Amino acid sequence: MKISKQEQSASRWVHDYSESLYGFAVQRVRDDHLAKDLVQETFLAAWRNVDNYSGEASVKTWLFTILKNKIIDHYRKASTRLSVDLHSIETAPDISFDDADHWDKDAYPADWGVDYNSQMESKEFFTVLDKCRRRLKEIQNAVFSLKYLEGYNSDEICKVLQISSSNYWVLVHRAKTQLRACLEKNWFVR
Amino acid sequence: MGITCKQATDYILKKEEGRLTLRQRYHLWRHLAVCIFCRLFQKQNKLINASLKQHGTHDHLDEEFKETVIKAMNDDSGTEKEPGGL
Repeated sequence: MKISKQEQSASRWVHDYSESLYGFAVQRVRDDHLAKDLVQETFLAAWRNVDNYSGEASVKTWLFTILKNKIIDHYRKASTRLSVDLHSIETAPDISFDDADHWDKDAYPADWGVDYNSQMESKEFFTVLDKCRRRLKEIQNAVFSLKYLEGYNSDEICKVLQISSSNYWVLVHRAKTQLRACLEKNWFVR
Repeated sequence: MGITCKQATDYILKKEEGRLTLRQRYHLWRHLAVCIFCRLFQKQNKLINASLKQHGTHDHLDEEFKETVIKAMNDDSGTEKEPGGL
């Protein structure tokens, strides 16, 4: 069913969908202002094209599809800026491992005493996770968002961020060991 | 010759995407059989992955922002008929 601007109201759209679109965006780009910009651009793009909208999907689904494309575009455009951190990530000493590339004695993983197959429910845990993620470089968080929220594989992520496969695996490895250590220190073993 | 913990943790991450050769899978299996720390890393990594897929918390949008968007959309409608106005 086709819809037209006459049948829609801008305030209704914003009232119904802005919070969920913003939640979706901020979780991915991890920047309040950028997330708001993307949400606004999404509404405007949809509003301009509402007369061409086929109506096959719900307005909500359509808005989310537009937003998702805008987020991927953002990463694509930001890839040059983001990759500036590649060198510092790759050359920084990896404190989790010793000279022989085994776990450093100060970084031995400890048992967290939880069911590792369960899902974390605590709001406080996600606050700590968020704090730990803020210590990562933007490009590492971009990789996490694309990998775990969009379900992209490494080839697709390398293409969006314009990085090599070896860059990708170093980024992920460093990010994971750093995140693990941070969670252990600030949440599990206190 | 066995693999190091650094290699083993790298293999654990690559295994998620099915990127290990048969030989690498064998080396990882042998390493995990004797290394409690890498076994813990593997379990903790699984929990971290699940957490990264979950929705975190975020602040609500302020009304001022919503009003700005509504105004921008309505203003946009006004310029729509003018060529190049979009």
